[in-house]
Amino acid sequence: MDARLKRLTQVLLVLFGLLALRLVQFQLVQGRRYAELSDHNRIRKIVLSAPRGRIFDRGGRTIADTRPSFTVSVIPTEMTDSTLPLLARLIDVPLEDLETRVEPVAFLASPVKVLRNLSQEALFRVEENRFRLSGVRTSVDPVRSYPSEDRYCHVLGHLGEVDKEDLGRDSSYRMLDYIGRAGVEAKYEQLLRGRDGYEYVEIDARGHEIGPLPEKRPVPAAAGRDIYLTIDDRLQQLAYRLTRGYQRAAVVGIKIPTGEVICLHSRPGFDPNLFTGTISAQAWSELSENPSKPFYNRAISATYPPGSMLKPVVALAALKTRVATTGTRFQYCNGQYRYGNRAFKCWTGHGILDLPGAIAHSCNVYFYQLGLRLGLDSLVSYCQAMPLGQLAGIDLPGENPGVIPSREWLNQRYGKGRWHMGVLLNFAIGQGEILASPLQMAVTYAAIANNGVFRRPHVLARVDSAGRTVHRAVADVERVSIRSHDLAQVKRALERVIEYGTARTARLREIRIAGKTGTAENIGADHAWFVGYAPADRPEVVFAVLVENAGHGGVVAAPIARQLIRTWFSIPDEDAR
Amino acid sequence: MRRVDLWVIVLTILLTAVGMLAVYSAGGTRYLVRQLVFLPVAVAGLLAAWFVPRRVMHGTSIWFYGAIVLLLGLVLFLGAGPGSRRWFVLGPVAFQPSEFTKLAVILLLARHLAGRRSLELSFRSLAVPVLICLAPAVLIVVEPDLSAALTLGAILAAMLYWQGLRPLHLLLLFIPLLSFAAGFSLWTWIPFFVFLAVIMLVRTNLFKAVITLAFSSFFALLSPLSLRLLRDYQADRIRSFLAPWFDPHGVGWNAIQSRIAIGSGQLFGKGFLCGTQNRLGFLPNRHTDFVFSGLGEEFGFIGALFLLGLLAFLIRRLLVIARHERDNFSSLLCVGCAAVIGYQAFINIGMLLGIMPITGVALPFISYGGSSLLLSYVLVGLVLNVSSRPA
Repeated sequence: MDARLKRLTQVLLVLFGLLALRLVQFQLVQGRRYAELSDHNRIRKIVLSAPRGRIFDRGGRTIADTRPSFTVSVIPTEMTDSTLPLLARLIDVPLEDLETRVEPVAFLASPVKVLRNLSQEALFRVEENRFRLSGVRTSVDPVRSYPSEDRYCHVLGHLGEVDKEDLGRDSSYRMLDYIGRAGVEAKYEQLLRGRDGYEYVEIDARGHEIGPLPEKRPVPAAAGRDIYLTIDDRLQQLAYRLTRGYQRAAVVGIKIPTGEVICLHSRPGFDPNLFTGTISAQAWSELSENPSKPFYNRAISATYPPGSMLKPVVALAALKTRVATTGTRFQYCNGQYRYGNRAFKCWTGHGILDLPGAIAHSCNVYFYQLGLRLGLDSLVSYCQAMPLGQLAGIDLPGENPGVIPSREWLNQRYGKGRWHMGVLLNFAIGQGEILASPLQMAVTYAAIANNGVFRRPHVLARVDSAGRTVHRAVADVERVSIRSHDLAQVKRALERVIEYGTARTARLREIRIAGKTGTAENIGADHAWFVGYAPADRPEVVFAVLVENAGHGGVVAAPIARQLIRTWFSIPDEDAR
Repeated sequence: MRRVDLWVIVLTILLTAVGMLAVYSAGGTRYLVRQLVFLPVAVAGLLAAWFVPRRVMHGTSIWFYGAIVLLLGLVLFLGAGPGSRRWFVLGPVAFQPSEFTKLAVILLLARHLAGRRSLELSFRSLAVPVLICLAPAVLIVVEPDLSAALTLGAILAAMLYWQGLRPLHLLLLFIPLLSFAAGFSLWTWIPFFVFLAVIMLVRTNLFKAVITLAFSSFFALLSPLSLRLLRDYQADRIRSFLAPWFDPHGVGWNAIQSRIAIGSGQLFGKGFLCGTQNRLGFLPNRHTDFVFSGLGEEFGFIGALFLLGLLAFLIRRLLVIARHERDNFSSLLCVGCAAVIGYQAFINIGMLLGIMPITGVALPFISYGGSSLLLSYVLVGLVLNVSSRPA
């Protein structure tokens, strides 16, 4: 009898001992690992998207904002086979699109965004089918919006979804994140983007979120920095309105003492909201196939021959190198100048002029001769100080340095000795090879207006973080050497351009303006230029206006600059009086 | 003068209390209340089993057995249940006849074996006891409820051993069943085969060993074949037992989540009602078959070991009572009861700890469920009955 009890007790001890050993193994030896697994099980890391920093004009008007939008995400490991097909139907997105999105991250147990800017109706459809959509989440995410629509497109640029390259370069981006692709959005991406936060939520076995996890504090998203631009919205709106009648145009305004860009407009443009909504294929092809290239920022990326607007620069170069004085007179202008076996034209017969007169009347014949006396190399080096032929250094991507036809450049372009000094004559009147952007012309005239001292142009005024200014932009000072006596003469000539010269259309009774028109010779219709500053005696602002294929600058471009100057100085409209 | 075994009563109360805590933590108030409603029924069952005259018990055991077999037959046609026919539903009450089959088999086996002086491995000696088990077992397998049927095997083994069948003979008797079970995988089959070969060669001669091994191999070969005949969920359970990490969200999910729950409890547990695995629904059937995982998570190693200790102590206590009984019927009855509790506890906890396949066996006293609680209490009642007769 005793043996049986002993035996059975032994069996009992062995079996229960086995269980106890297993408990030791799981709970004591591997306990920590299982505890981690258990946390991993029930904890889901939810990314809290940081709202992108807002962008304001210099007066604090919102030109780029963030607004809430509905986002659909999927948790790949929790999807069933029927999840994606059903979801695709409900949110009206091709199934293949969803699959290509989810496939590379199929191992993830955290949400992957698949569609932003979900319409309310689609959201309701998803919510109604919630129980059949395992692994699908909806959330409210901040998304960029541009109340300014297309008024600022070339200043602000636009956003785009990150691509593989971005993800490889910076691991803090996640799929479907937006990144600045052009303009301020690209240039100040790191300031604007902010830092995404995290929230840990407890989930049950079906993946339903129970609520925040008490022991793991959420890391709130840090909103991006707010950026104040130097742009004046009044001017921007006006430039937009005034160029609306033309196909392609650009306007640049700079505040001379500081280098602040107060207006920067290029036509045609696009609505950057298209890129943060889901851009339709049709809208995209319309934009990308438009022959006027709406993504092209003509104000800084397009270059044109400056035409007569270069003449004051040539004059200053001649005065500085003392090859001429303000009183220098040349051969009589009868409407053309013979050089070699070619006749170089003037637009009318001017007779004999002194230098200020030649500027005021824009006499080509005078400048042909001045250019020849000055020589190519002197003219090139003076232009390069301006800055022509090199970047003005604006804080926007895509600036074009333009062209100054230096000896090396010409040798490279045409071959050594295969170009004629005739290029110098064209150069001296701002035609031919020389190319400059509207921005460069504005900066050049800022330098002239400000006695050779100018500041690097910039659009960033200051950076705010949570309402506190953390950075104020101060532009570098640049200098170009100008003799002040000469300068006064040239500036006087530029005033006369407005008073009774080619740009009388820019004249304002209340304020004295100095400036110069230009006509960029072109294979098609000429481009109209005007660049001018005001007030003439104490220059504050400079505007460069270019209208493509619009003919003479005095007719088209100068009146636009006049309106802009009037608005900047808050001079009421004549008609209103 | 009646001698009542206080230990059995104390252990029963302790186990019931632990069970109530576990059911509350896993299933909330709803299941706790239901379990509390079952409790008086179970206590009534215990008292009935305690005070029914032994004579009546002995006399009616054959009728009880007959009735149960009849019910098992009926449940196949009239029963309800998810994917299987195990339950009788009478209004708000549902009960599983298979639970009470265990009781009927214990009673009838005790009555039959009590009269036998010696047992040996022969048809004459073992045909009747085996048949007593096999008849209801077949009906239960058809339900299908394999694990409940196997409990009957455990009862038979324990009671035959108690009545004097030699362990070797017992082993040989169960060779078809054991070979079949081991045959599902080479990993279980090879150790079993080697074990059998060694035992047979040491204890008997080469000829018998070869015969036995051939016999065993035949049954082992049947099992991969039968895997195809098994219901999908049964085959899946066996596969998940063999490789639980293979398909974490599919078949092995239950096994993994149960391990994570128990393991993450570590030494002291996460605290009562603080088990995340348990309360967030990561455990399947967390108030019934997986109730021990929730306990392991919330009360840790200390708590789990305490529960194991309670169960082991109770079983040991039943065996001690069995030894002290003068008459065979009472003694065998106690052993049968100990076998049911011991077997179910080992299988249930073993499956959660990954040493047994996941099967639907309830943890006696602890798992939520009226039938299971009632059976546990009636078993205790029977033991109290036979142990508390006038000394």
